[in-house]
Amino acid sequence: MSAPTTTEARAHGRRRKRGSDRARSEARLGWWLAGPAFGLMLLVTLYPILQATYDSLFSLRLTAPDEREFVGIENYAVILTDWAFWRSMLVTLFITVVTVAIELVLGFALAMIMHRAITRLRGIIRTAILVPYGIITVVSAFAFFYAFDINTGYINSWFNWVPGIDESFNWFAQQWPSLFVIILSEVWKTTPFISLLLLAGLAQVPGELEEAAKVDGAKGWQVLRKVTLPNMKAAIMVAVLFRALEAFRIFDNVFIMTGGANNTEVLSLLAYNTSIGRLEIGMGSAISVLLFLSVLVISFIAIKGFRVDLSGTRGEN
Amino acid sequence: MTRGRRIAPVLALGLATVMVACTSETGPPTLTWYINPDDGGQAAIAQTCTEEADGAYVIETALLPREASDQREQLARRLAASDSSIDIMSLDPPYIPEMAEPGFLAEVPEELQDTDGIVQGAIDSATWNDELVTVPFWANTQLLWYRESVAEEVGLDMSQPVTWDDLIEAAAENDLYLGVQGILAEALTVWINALVASGGGEILVNPEAPSDELELDLDSEAGRRAAEIVSRIGSEGLGGPGLPTADENASMNVFQGDRGSFMVNWPFVYPAMAAAESEVMDDLAWTTYPRVDPDTEAAPPVGGINLGVGAFSNHIDLAWEAVACIVRPEHQAEYFVTNGNPPSAIEAYDDPSVQEEFPMADAIRDSLEQAEPRPQTPFYNEISIGLQDTWHPVSSVDPETTPASSQQFITEVLRGERLL
Amino acid sequence: MGMSTRGKVGWLIATLLVLVWSLFPVFSILMTSFKTQDGLFSGTLLPPEWTFENYAEILAPGGSAQDLFLPALRNSIGISLISTFIAVVLATFCAYAIARLDFRGKKLILTSALAVSVFPVVSIVTPLFNLWRSVGLYDTWAGLIIPYLSLTLPISIWTLSAFFRQIPWELEQAAQVDGATPFVAFRKAVVPLAAPGVFTSAIIAFFIAWNDFVYGISLTSTTAARPVPAALSFFTGASQFEEPTGAISAAAIVVTVPVVVVVLIFQRRIVSGLTQGAVKG
Repeated sequence: MSAPTTTEARAHGRRRKRGSDRARSEARLGWWLAGPAFGLMLLVTLYPILQATYDSLFSLRLTAPDEREFVGIENYAVILTDWAFWRSMLVTLFITVVTVAIELVLGFALAMIMHRAITRLRGIIRTAILVPYGIITVVSAFAFFYAFDINTGYINSWFNWVPGIDESFNWFAQQWPSLFVIILSEVWKTTPFISLLLLAGLAQVPGELEEAAKVDGAKGWQVLRKVTLPNMKAAIMVAVLFRALEAFRIFDNVFIMTGGANNTEVLSLLAYNTSIGRLEIGMGSAISVLLFLSVLVISFIAIKGFRVDLSGTRGEN
Repeated sequence: MTRGRRIAPVLALGLATVMVACTSETGPPTLTWYINPDDGGQAAIAQTCTEEADGAYVIETALLPREASDQREQLARRLAASDSSIDIMSLDPPYIPEMAEPGFLAEVPEELQDTDGIVQGAIDSATWNDELVTVPFWANTQLLWYRESVAEEVGLDMSQPVTWDDLIEAAAENDLYLGVQGILAEALTVWINALVASGGGEILVNPEAPSDELELDLDSEAGRRAAEIVSRIGSEGLGGPGLPTADENASMNVFQGDRGSFMVNWPFVYPAMAAAESEVMDDLAWTTYPRVDPDTEAAPPVGGINLGVGAFSNHIDLAWEAVACIVRPEHQAEYFVTNGNPPSAIEAYDDPSVQEEFPMADAIRDSLEQAEPRPQTPFYNEISIGLQDTWHPVSSVDPETTPASSQQFITEVLRGERLL
Repeated sequence: MGMSTRGKVGWLIATLLVLVWSLFPVFSILMTSFKTQDGLFSGTLLPPEWTFENYAEILAPGGSAQDLFLPALRNSIGISLISTFIAVVLATFCAYAIARLDFRGKKLILTSALAVSVFPVVSIVTPLFNLWRSVGLYDTWAGLIIPYLSLTLPISIWTLSAFFRQIPWELEQAAQVDGATPFVAFRKAVVPLAAPGVFTSAIIAFFIAWNDFVYGISLTSTTAARPVPAALSFFTGASQFEEPTGAISAAAIVVTVPVVVVVLIFQRRIVSGLTQGAVKG
């Protein structure tokens, strides 16, 4: 905050007057201004998820609308006892954990480079990393797909000195190589975002502390471990939570590259295939609700378990 | 900034006007024909028929996605929304029952019910519950394409019916690749269905039953034979390294490659390779789809496009009039010559330009007469995807267990007990 | 700046590495877009034979993918602009209230924005699809603009709140004291300060709307509303069974160029917008 004293002082001043007409009219104005955005935001998310919850209690197929039937929690029972769902869950979690872990390391390295670089280079680097950030995910998926694909790709002929890779290695024929390319594309596209979050965190680490540690004879990595990282903990946690939740809903890359073949079907794709592809609205809604609940659980664990302080993201610290 | 503020609402307003303007209609009624991608042949026919109608109607084409399953998804979604803008549809046969059952298709009028002079495979594919629900337009079937020099080298007499075992032996002994479609897509279902049907079996016993009473017969002699064939080609690498992702186009590339030999594929490959001035053209030959059992006639795949009219269209009668124009044999013949898609009308095969452009026209017609459609059921999508899921990649198919587990899986999906 | 030669070389290498890593995939698909149908299978990064054929396919009249791509481009631009515009206008009011006024529920609004921004899009696409079918919004611009607000609104509220907190609002009061009407004070003192933040939020929101794929494939079915990312996955080759690789690559480049241009011009603002909206206060 650049000017905390004045705003805070004013806020205190107001609080004292709470209950007065002026405070009430200010609150009214506040809601008049903020209300439309808030209401609209809830309308386009809260309503659909409630509707999905209701639909998930029916057996409903769009091409057989007359056979709609109330089935209670049967859809959930089918999903939760089906290995296909748990396999998708595991694949999704795997992609989430691996991408976030790689991105954290890479993103931190990028943030350090940007933090330390001289002004002229900083501009170049920032411009470069914003390209993956701004590019359409589907485009990124196609770029990686065509580079690795056995027909149109060149990666095989570039890396044929690596054991196991030759001209006839089909990346999209098996689970692990497919996941590798999917994760690579995801990492490329989203590392810039995490690195910018970390850059902001780095900027908050008091420079004097690092200097003091250096004067005391600490080596570069010791400063990093003992001073820099602990002071960035809040920023790191927030970045990880954000990216993890985003990675958990991965869809575009998988849809374009494998379409879920070779056990690469992620939860979002399973939900999409069931409701939009098969037009099984009831079952698809149930998967959607479970996906939503998973996001809630992850957030809850992160916020309560790891004490991620979201107020830090709001500039209220 | 002030300027930007003024421009933006104006822009939004302008765009809104454009959106409104698009929906208004003047002049003769416009019929929208949803077409699968081709080389522009359907658009050309639309043009011809519009001119012939002389102001009675105008046909406009709208393009559907490339994959048959995506086409179905788009149309089913719109029809479920009772969309009145769908007048005429180019439909891939296996998905027709799913559209017919809930009443998404308008009834075929009397004058178009006559199926005399149409190849049997196309009639079968246009029928649901013993009723013609669409009108056959063009009919597709796969042939066995081969390189004469290779056949000679491996010592196969191609004038006699060949079997899958012959092909597999030839490829295995001579280090050759067979052109087959092993991709996780509709093409794989086409292959499996043709193998099961050629072996005398059928994937679905009672296609017209409701979803929870459908019975599969994959766990049978014919099912296991089919599994044996795909599994050998897959596990011995006879389809080439690209097999798990090979669609029709990829297998055509394999066929033209150094180790190309035999290929099962649709007739489009002929104009495609000719246009690319492929080196194999001089060496290219064809015959009927390979047999599974040496003494039983093969059951080649049948595909193609039938025309349906949307039940919610505002111009159903005009749409059928237009359909009658589109499917006229001379239009079919022209479509074959320009786009490589074979006619459903037997008469069209005798057209001189057809005989000249497509030396294999008679082979296609004969193949269409003995072809077997894929299961005709409103739940085809579940069956097809279920098959693909359990048989892909074909290298992992176990002839002993896969047919049984596949059958069980699909049955459970149909009963709503499992996810797909 | 006293930097050793070794240090300089180190920085140069680091910068180079970042450049290659960030730009290589774009370069890769750019090269694919220049390949001929045969060249696609060459197994090399650079086209053995250069061609503009693929660009003709998507842009020139009569090109095989032209009637798929051009409407999609129009839809993408229109829908993303409108939803960005609506989101930024509403978010400006909202963020102004949060930064300037004292009322209960600020925290609720900000937390909701955060929750909505991580909401799994696929979860709400089915009910929306069903609803849109019955109210006639399926496959229309409005049918995409409305759900896009769930993508563009939270980030705009968030970024703008952070920006507005930093504005020295005393200037506004000072202007009022000097005798200006509230409106003039707002226009003269606040707008110039707030404009960069609003503009930055608009860029970020636009990127997010521009990137959408799930809504795009689920809630449209024709060129009436289908945006570019969805259209790319429906491309067809020049003939029925030809692979659309070249045309897709060309289209991918066409939609990436504007992004690169915006990034080149506004990199500083985008970075400050992203970092402030996220961590810094």
